[in-house]
Amino acid sequence: MAPFLFFLLKRLTLIPVTLIIVTIVLYSFVYTVSAEERASLYFPPRVPRVQSETQYNNFIQGIIDEKGLDKPFPQQYVSWLTGLIKGDWGWSPTFDAPVLDMLRLRTSGTLELTFYSLLTLIPLGLISGVTTGWRPNGSLDNTFRLTAFLATSIPPFILGLFLLSIFYVGLGWFSPGRTGFHELSMSNSTFQHFTGFLTLDGLLNGRPDITLDAFRRLILPVFTLSLGHWATLGRVTRVSIINEKGKEYLLAAKARGLKRRSIVWRHAFRNVLAPALTTSYLSITTLITGVLVVEIIFDYKGVSELITKGITGSTSLGMVVVPDTSLALGFAVYSCLLVVPIMLLLDVVKAVVDPRIREEAE
Amino acid sequence: MSNWRLFFRQRQNWLAIFLVFFFAFVALAAPVLSPPDDPENPLPFKVAYQDFRRIPNPPSEGNPLGTVPQIQNLPQFGIAPGQDASYHWDVLHTLIWGTRSAFRFGLVVSISTAVLGILVGAVGAYFGGRVDRLFLLITDSFLAFPVIAVAWLLQRTWFSSVFSPFLDVETLNFWETALYELKLNPIMISLVLFSWMPYARLVNTTVAQLRTAEFVTAARAIGASESRIIFRHLLPNAISPAIVYLARDIGGVVVIASALTFIGFGGDIAWAIMLVSARDYVLGLSGNPFIYWWTFLPIALALTLFALAWNLLGDGLNVALNPRKAK
Repeated sequence: MAPFLFFLLKRLTLIPVTLIIVTIVLYSFVYTVSAEERASLYFPPRVPRVQSETQYNNFIQGIIDEKGLDKPFPQQYVSWLTGLIKGDWGWSPTFDAPVLDMLRLRTSGTLELTFYSLLTLIPLGLISGVTTGWRPNGSLDNTFRLTAFLATSIPPFILGLFLLSIFYVGLGWFSPGRTGFHELSMSNSTFQHFTGFLTLDGLLNGRPDITLDAFRRLILPVFTLSLGHWATLGRVTRVSIINEKGKEYLLAAKARGLKRRSIVWRHAFRNVLAPALTTSYLSITTLITGVLVVEIIFDYKGVSELITKGITGSTSLGMVVVPDTSLALGFAVYSCLLVVPIMLLLDVVKAVVDPRIREEAE
Repeated sequence: MSNWRLFFRQRQNWLAIFLVFFFAFVALAAPVLSPPDDPENPLPFKVAYQDFRRIPNPPSEGNPLGTVPQIQNLPQFGIAPGQDASYHWDVLHTLIWGTRSAFRFGLVVSISTAVLGILVGAVGAYFGGRVDRLFLLITDSFLAFPVIAVAWLLQRTWFSSVFSPFLDVETLNFWETALYELKLNPIMISLVLFSWMPYARLVNTTVAQLRTAEFVTAARAIGASESRIIFRHLLPNAISPAIVYLARDIGGVVVIASALTFIGFGGDIAWAIMLVSARDYVLGLSGNPFIYWWTFLPIALALTLFALAWNLLGDGLNVALNPRKAK
């Protein structure tokens, strides 16, 4: 167990380093624009309506002087990061609300969608890859290869629209949105949001109808999201298992009289898992981008709501147009924070199944 | 060379070559296939007629694939000013001219991405030690950036004046003018800046293996310079897995960019802009979901085939260029 603990410790110390690099890059994008525009990062709550351009300029100049926005990069970055860690993510004039609160309110939807997509695509990808790769060029394998090819090529947003056309508009089986008419029964005080996951909260509140409805609304978005990634993961797993098949240790296992199932899942699978999960590792950000796109297409309430409402440049504030940098920057930091735990999870799973990885850490 | 024979024996590779050449032919022959209104300054959109009723017209003699009412005039889509909501676009024209913009976007973005990634990976692996560890750390950290978040950040910072509904070219500063004149958009920039990492990792592993190979030691022994070793000896050997990735990426970036354009980011892929215009008609009417099929079906099919073509080509090249891995 010792090498594993060492690996875990080493991996955990990597997280702050990653986050520092990430925030430096993000802040340097904001650093390149003018100090006047950057001042919107530090808007006070409930920005006062301004009557004239000069009044606004004075207000902005005040923020620049107070926060030292004309100082060199390291000073500005550190003071911004300190605020970020303290939970001061700024005020968004577009929504007239604190950025962190808006993100927190909408997190559960995004997490639920991401969680169920990962839960679908990783097991399905691994299983289909292993089963088809064990008997290459069989009829099952050929069908899988063709399907996987089409699945990786069809753009998810187009797939989502087709599914909506057929199953919502045409057949009326599933509907878009996250809550539907249950919104009403959830807004009364007896319904408690324990986990934020509607599929679980429904059960915990003794309302299986809400759980069922939540699952029904999840089916189409989860399918749209996982199909492409499932196919990619399946293809990678298939190729690795074909390469693994000829190795001698499997022949030895067969000679010892082990059952086929045990040979495949106990021996070959463990060696295939690490390269397969590396593929998922490289495409997590694509998955998160996909989650946000799919949320918008299926009108599934999550953090993407912030994008759709504030998509273009500026918001007007009384007489002048102001930028909303704090929302965009906060959202970017937030979405990187979504990615980091999933990466950690995948790395830990890899180290659990593959002793080579945890010994490398020493 | 037997690898190439293997490549040409596979039927799916012929399909890939056919599709890529077909799209290339359509892109090159666009002015003949669908003459633009203004040959000097051809636009991927052609106004079929003007009508304030925003109902798509089904295929007819003049418009073989029907028409779609144009989206509201939003600056981030780069639509010529002066066109208002009463214009209806010809679908076939955009289908043909969109091939050009898809090719341009795919090639420009994925080649720049590949060059960036290959350089980072090669330099890190060549110097080894601390430099390599630092480069790998940065590469891995960059894997945490979702393209959509960065694209939005750029849209609201660098592009906030360029995409403003009250755009006034006179007031832009030097950088903003450059972004405006070069017709760059946030999707393009964030895709290049945040999808080079797989290339870097791929090249890094290969170069690290080659660095101690005998022919490199031999080159150093006869006094070859560092840059000569990187560019003449290491990179050519490390590049074939990157080429496979590049081929798949050309379709991939076009698909991601189209999705972002569709949900309301700017962008210059004409297919995606037409899909944005068709957004209200895609879901059709209850009972007949495909009543306005011509507004999105031809373009959705073209986009899917475009992605499929590059995917197939990438797979075929994988077998031909990395025979040991692909078996």
